[in-house]
Amino acid sequence: MRLINRRPEAGFGRLLMIVPFVLVVLTYLIASAARLAENPADKLLPSPASMMAAVTRMAFEADKRTGDFLLWVDTSASLGRILAALAIATAISLVLGIAIGLLPYLRSLAGGFVAVISVVPPLALLPILFIVLGLGETSKIALIVIGIAPFMTRDLALRVSELPPQQIIKAQTLGASSWQLVLRVVLPQLLPRLIDGLRLSLGPAWLFLIAAEAIASESGLGFRIFLVRRYLAMDVIIPYVIWITLLAFLMDRLLVLLQARAFPWFAGARATA
Amino acid sequence: MTVSKHLTRTLVAAAAALLVWHAPAEAAPKKEFKLAWSIYVGWMPWQWAADHGIVDKWAKKYGIKIDVVQFNDYVESINQFTAGGFDALTATNMDTLSIPSVGGVDTTAVIVGDFSNGNDAVILKDKKALTDIKGQKVNLVQFSVSHYLLARALESIGSSEKDVDVVNTSDADMVAAWATPDVTSVVTWNPIVAEIMGTPAANKVFDSSQIPGEIIDLTVANTETLKDNPDFGKALAGIWYETMAAMSAKTPDGAAAREAMGKASGTDLAGYEAQLAATRMFYKPDEAASFAKSAEIGATMDHVRTFLFDHGLMGDGAASADVVGIELADGKVLGDKANVKFRFTDTYMAAAAAGKL
Amino acid sequence: MSVLSIADVWKEYGEHVVLEGISLEIAERSFVALVGPSGCGKSTFLKMLLSEERPSRGSILLDGAPLAAEPEAGRGVVFQRYSVFPHLTALGNVMLGLEIGASRFWGKLWGARRRAAAEEARALLEAVGLAEATDKYPAQLSGGMQQRLALAQALATKPRVLLLDEPFGALDPGIRAEIHQLMKRLWHERPLTVVMVTHDMSEAFTLATRVIAFERRRNEPSDGGRYGATITQDIPVWPPRVAGQVTGLFESPGRDDPAPVAGTSRDDLALQGVRA
Repeated sequence: MRLINRRPEAGFGRLLMIVPFVLVVLTYLIASAARLAENPADKLLPSPASMMAAVTRMAFEADKRTGDFLLWVDTSASLGRILAALAIATAISLVLGIAIGLLPYLRSLAGGFVAVISVVPPLALLPILFIVLGLGETSKIALIVIGIAPFMTRDLALRVSELPPQQIIKAQTLGASSWQLVLRVVLPQLLPRLIDGLRLSLGPAWLFLIAAEAIASESGLGFRIFLVRRYLAMDVIIPYVIWITLLAFLMDRLLVLLQARAFPWFAGARATA
Repeated sequence: MTVSKHLTRTLVAAAAALLVWHAPAEAAPKKEFKLAWSIYVGWMPWQWAADHGIVDKWAKKYGIKIDVVQFNDYVESINQFTAGGFDALTATNMDTLSIPSVGGVDTTAVIVGDFSNGNDAVILKDKKALTDIKGQKVNLVQFSVSHYLLARALESIGSSEKDVDVVNTSDADMVAAWATPDVTSVVTWNPIVAEIMGTPAANKVFDSSQIPGEIIDLTVANTETLKDNPDFGKALAGIWYETMAAMSAKTPDGAAAREAMGKASGTDLAGYEAQLAATRMFYKPDEAASFAKSAEIGATMDHVRTFLFDHGLMGDGAASADVVGIELADGKVLGDKANVKFRFTDTYMAAAAAGKL
Repeated sequence: MSVLSIADVWKEYGEHVVLEGISLEIAERSFVALVGPSGCGKSTFLKMLLSEERPSRGSILLDGAPLAAEPEAGRGVVFQRYSVFPHLTALGNVMLGLEIGASRFWGKLWGARRRAAAEEARALLEAVGLAEATDKYPAQLSGGMQQRLALAQALATKPRVLLLDEPFGALDPGIRAEIHQLMKRLWHERPLTVVMVTHDMSEAFTLATRVIAFERRRNEPSDGGRYGATITQDIPVWPPRVAGQVTGLFESPGRDDPAPVAGTSRDDLALQGVRA
């Protein structure tokens, strides 16, 4: 039988899914044990026990100097930033994306500009951002927004232009004004597609968040990672990376769930389009 | 931007470590050595020595090979040394203690190159006195020598870190940060200090010349490697003091060497000489050897380890700053004698002074 | 009196002439089928009636007044595909036109007005045989049901003219026969003037009161598109159908079978042209 026609049974398939995870963990454990046998104080590949201790210390014990539970302070600071940035980027990209996708004048005016802006590497412009917006929360959120909004705008404008022209004509024959067309035909069909765009933007958003926090900050997951990197505290960094991965994964799943729940028509429409 | 590079490098280092974890087990005499250095006024001689054949000359004399590798990122070079990727490193006394030594890597200071004598500074915007710093946000690279300098500065006016808010800020973005209105005080090092002092509102209210000899720039090596291969240490000292002699010469050749080092660090002859003026260079091996042996080192390292312990940088389970032993050049040990991980010695500098290399 | 008066309409794209000298009067409550080979411009002509395209020359009058420059509520349309909105249920699709007309800002109704609109929409859905499917999304409906829904949606705003662009072309023959029945009934029962583009001769003669064939008089490659299509045939269907007067003969399902229809040889040619 050809390889392309061989399929694992359901149970075995699930088993296969966890194999890479188990392999990574095992490789780590072996390498860590070997390094620790050489040098019990090795910091590069800490043991699970010392990572657990670090997690306990960061998450469940108040910090000696500040009295804060650092992991939660960091998490809420980072989540606050990333959610604010995602909300702003969503609002900007919805307005601009619909306008560019639907209005020929705006397409001429802004389409090319957004296309160019979306390939500008925002990290290189950080000094300007700092000077214009200061070193506080604003510039961090702005960095994420600048990093993802142009891409989302382009994506949404494209999705608008992919709506069948018949629909736009049809809505007009039902008497819809441009505004009504946006409100009743374009926007509701764009929202589930916006979720697709948001999901794709999560990766870059986290990257920009961590970059922004690394540069100037007092709290945040990225801040902590770059701070403790100063003394190679991988026992903190590795659990933080796992935590960030988990948060990003959960956000992605939540968006998928939201898409299915809030837009029950979308899966069918996508399948038949 | 360097952030993703940092992450990538850390990951690559981890992956490399996974592949070579068994390497330290082989104790056979080595023939090839690697030195990691990063751009700083007192470490520029390494690149110049490599470019002018001095490294190869001394390596050949001892029948070994020395690779001089430049890092754009100082912390990453320390991490690489700590992970076992390099045999020698340029670092400050404080960072050597907090990263390799606390990380269980027994490290020896082969060369005491200089100490900062004004190169690190506390700068306030508009305000003119150090006491004005109270209640301000202070932008600096946390847990770096800048942080230490701030702690010492606050101590000098009878206050402490509780009186300020420290904001961790990347050195690469310090100049841009200074230009924003909400940043009113920074602690940083040269050439950033010179850059910031060039702006109208900047006032230097404290600098490292007020704590002379405490921020020491070293060339360190893995103690075990050094014990197995003493020739490596000798070669390092030989290279260093030949280069020191060349760059300190009051001749056109000496000026040319300084100009080359200045250019390599992104400035010119005048800029480099201004930085040298704020640095107490030990051009002569006997000066360096006697500084390494002095009692000041013991007092300084006690300050440093206390600072690190107060900031949780002496290891998580540490009950006191004594957890890691620091051996001084006269054989005295600060802290745990059974766990000595940082050693000062005048062996190589004294040999250079005596012409016995 | 004519609902639509088309006078000497030309459509050109640069050098390329698509339609030339089209003149046509479309009477109140007639059902006009436009037939002709592919590329004869019948769809372009329909687009002009919709104001999706504008004539290069000539005039089109609706009830004596020039057509608005963009699509509007008086001229309903059903396309072959994408006529209904995938994000609205069947009921929502039919209500959309009512809501847009009644709520200028939100395009959405609430409370009693919404219930009234929903009642009206339900009645329409029942009329097209979709009473069971009111809460289904278009993706859950078959192709034939989607086109029924599209008809109901277009009729909800009571358009003066209903424009159909090959509306049943993608349906299976059996389904098509059923929907032809529905189409005829709707035309009889409601004050509709219909213009339908089709490439199916049998469909044209089954439904229409008048069949108009578009064709290029000269169509040599050497002409380089300098001659456009024009009306070559204008056939009143016999015996004449009159809206509202249902006769047993014309309602027999047998007529809807794609059997050869009595017609001129021109129509056969046209048919071949389409199928080729």
